Amino acid sequence: MKLLIIEDEQGLRENIEQYFTEEGIICESCSDLQTAINKISLYQYDCILLDIGLPDGEGFTLLEHLKSTGKNECVLIISARNSLDNKIKGLNLGADDYLTKPFHLAELKARVAAIFRRKAFNTNSLLRYDEISVNLLAREVEVNGAQIILTRKEYDMLLYFIANKGKVISKNAIAEHLWGDEIDLVDSFDFIYTHIKNIRKKLMDAAHKDYIKSVYGVGYKFL
Amino acid sequence: MKLSAQYSKANLVITLSVLFITGIIYYSTIAYILNIQLDRDLTEEIEEVTRHVKSKQHLPKQEDEEQTIFIKTNQKAIKRIFFDTLYYNPKEKNTIEGRAVAGLITLKGENYKIIILESKKATEYLIQVITIITLVLAIVLLLILVITNRYILNGLWKPFYHILQQLKAFNIADGNNLILKKTNIDEFEELNNAVLNMSSKVKNEYQNLKIFTENASHEMMTPIAVITSKLDTLIQDETLRSEQYTQINDIYTATNKLARLNQSLLLLVKIENDLVQDNYVLDLKDIIEEKLRQFQELIQNKHIGVIHTLQDKEITASKYLVDILINNLFSNAIKHNNVYGTIRINLTGNTLVFQNTGDEESLNSGEIFERFKKSKTSEGTGLGLTIVKNICSQYNYKLSYYFEGPLHTFQIEF
Repeated sequence: MKLLIIEDEQGLRENIEQYFTEEGIICESCSDLQTAINKISLYQYDCILLDIGLPDGEGFTLLEHLKSTGKNECVLIISARNSLDNKIKGLNLGADDYLTKPFHLAELKARVAAIFRRKAFNTNSLLRYDEISVNLLAREVEVNGAQIILTRKEYDMLLYFIANKGKVISKNAIAEHLWGDEIDLVDSFDFIYTHIKNIRKKLMDAAHKDYIKSVYGVGYKFL
Repeated sequence: MKLSAQYSKANLVITLSVLFITGIIYYSTIAYILNIQLDRDLTEEIEEVTRHVKSKQHLPKQEDEEQTIFIKTNQKAIKRIFFDTLYYNPKEKNTIEGRAVAGLITLKGENYKIIILESKKATEYLIQVITIITLVLAIVLLLILVITNRYILNGLWKPFYHILQQLKAFNIADGNNLILKKTNIDEFEELNNAVLNMSSKVKNEYQNLKIFTENASHEMMTPIAVITSKLDTLIQDETLRSEQYTQINDIYTATNKLARLNQSLLLLVKIENDLVQDNYVLDLKDIIEEKLRQFQELIQNKHIGVIHTLQDKEITASKYLVDILINNLFSNAIKHNNVYGTIRINLTGNTLVFQNTGDEESLNSGEIFERFKKSKTSEGTGLGLTIVKNICSQYNYKLSYYFEGPLHTFQIEF
């Protein structure tokens, strides 16, 4: 998968690039609109991470450019502007998702994976990871051919973990993913523990393997 | 007391006293002049009698008009004096007021004291007529004064009341400017200008402040995003020690709170600026039931019992804001609740009531909706209830808090 990151904040850009770069993903990045437009006219990308507030214009211009040139790259907008109007405008212009800053890298990765999955849905509705296979259409999970029953939250969490495989995901990131950012509850970490415990047990029973590793007090890692 | 009433009162007192004093002066002047007139008549009379006595050498007969009295006296000389007196009028058979003159005449070597009386009736009648005319004039004058005062004053103060009305309706948050009528009275024109100047200055300042808040919050989001991404990257390094992870956790928590604060401030600015306009007809019951499902785990985790009676209630509002409103009420009721506590939700056609157990003490209902007012133990942003309040006032709902037994109660009246 080839990814283009358009973000003018250097620190953020580098971290996103670093977090996404792994086997099978190639990241390229730039910090302004003009370079980005040049890049997409030259190369083909699978997904574009687009910041709206760029030094030489608004990211919407790029969306319009993509539309007018008939390209169908997935676009995920990352913006500091959390307004409904901006969201609607972005989505109407053909963006696939809209993520408001600040966000966790794990969330970004999960969103990109979701967009990518949606794009590839027609050809493959089966997501495989190790012994786990997820039927995205039926929302069913099988381990070694045996179906395991997961609750809605557990299913969401499994997809989230698979998207961020091999990464340490902070509890904050998981909490935000599960509860959204509208729910402001500090003591919500306890539930994460409960959910993790359940999901871990279900996977363990089916695969006889512990997929989830706890990393001190800070978070979890899916292996 | 109204200015016009105050003015009329002063006016009335002054007019009445001036009229009263002039009345007295008027009366005494006329009485004085008439007395002089009478005295002159009496003088003529007494001189005529004297002449008559001298030429005819006998006392004259009683005449009709005046009464003349002759009294023998031993006095050699009597100074001619005029005086007011009462006398009996045989013709009208009553005692009337009169003016009299006393003098001395000599007839055949004998001295007589002569008193001539003249009725003051005509004079009094005249004075009465004059008094009545004066009184009537005074009343008419007063009436005219009061009426003109009322109409003229009201007319004069019209621009003032217009300004006052505009000032009362002045709302710093809306974009409407004051509309002041032009007036040709200098003072009011000056007031108009001063008010216009002040209001535009205040609006400008307020607008600047809002823009500043919004920009500042937006600008802060990017650095917070950088911190978050750095932390997300940092925890990938598994050579860190557990103490360092603890530190990172604290930074996560603080960053998270910072982001929430910022989002809440931005939301407040948006609500205050009336920027959320996507109003639809919503069924509040459905929304609450949906939120109940969303919060279910959080509620169960604290072993909180929820008792709810929900009736259908349709409102016209933004789904986005109503979601936040119900979210905040739920978060609040869960966060400040005890383990094994209770939440009661009651939705009727007119009210929505959220009640929760918690501290056994009532909160300060005056401060609870203020920004950054929160209990010492609360880890929240201190903006949750402020947002609830602002959303309520956006839709003209009445929000109130009271403590009832063990239940903290938040009530919204639609």
